[in-house]
Amino acid sequence: MKTCIACGMPMTEPADFAMGDITKAYCRHCARPDGTMQSYGEKLDSLSGFLVRTQGLDTGAAVDAARDMMARLPAWKA
Amino acid sequence: MAGTRRRTQKDQTRRHLIEVALEQFAQEGLTTTRTADIANAAGVSHGTVFAHFPTQEVLVTAVIEEFGARVSTRLHELAAGSTGLRDVLAAHLQGLKEFEAFYARLVIERRLLPESAQSTFTLIQSSISFHISQAAGKEMEEGTIHPWPIHLLFNTWVGLLHYYLANGDLFAPEGSVLERYGEELLNHYVGLTGVKRC
Ligand SMILES: [Zn+2]
Repeated sequence: MKTCIACGMPMTEPADFAMGDITKAYCRHCARPDGTMQSYGEKLDSLSGFLVRTQGLDTGAAVDAARDMMARLPAWKA
Repeated sequence: MAGTRRRTQKDQTRRHLIEVALEQFAQEGLTTTRTADIANAAGVSHGTVFAHFPTQEVLVTAVIEEFGARVSTRLHELAAGSTGLRDVLAAHLQGLKEFEAFYARLVIERRLLPESAQSTFTLIQSSISFHISQAAGKEMEEGTIHPWPIHLLFNTWVGLLHYYLANGDLFAPEGSVLERYGEELLNHYVGLTGVKRC
């Protein structure tokens, strides 16, 4: 099974992929409206914002966790 | 090819070590089990464990990642065919039941874990909160559940589960907390969040 290189989400249905395109390595949540992949800064913002909105975390703690998670995903690995 | 075979064997050893560690951590705790204990239980030399996981931190993080991948994949599959919040929560319970002992240890020991392991846990929770927010958004639009902020919806559910799991010795000393109380907690939570129709 494929997982998104930029956020780690499992991609099992065509609808999970960016623009419904199963040849893409990233998911629909990591795509910009034009289908290209979000930048590191955009993803860090959206991921930490998501942690604040859905888990209620402190903003600083959310950014730290998001940065740490992203460091281990293929799209952002050094 | 010899190179490919060697790589396959290396992968197999790594997978075996992660399986053994999942089991050992569930029984003995994540912070107290040493890599030497894993080597013993797996029947390999300490050097073999070291070759795959140079530190305790790397091993703990890899095992939590593996647990997270399984739970979120399971939830992703189970939630794919479901529509309502209740279905998603039932799928969450089902996924956790398969790793209950490990998950309870993770909940109890989280703050003592290395930072990378803590972040992995937050990431796992975000895959759960994602499915909950998707289902809840739809139900709020339909007016079947209260328009609570998503983080309170999530934390109320997880808080309830974690309280029972962290104190499992008091709630189900002999067996599974989720087997015994899962249905009751689910019904209670659905009752709290649901809007009564007259
Ligand atoms: Zn993604």
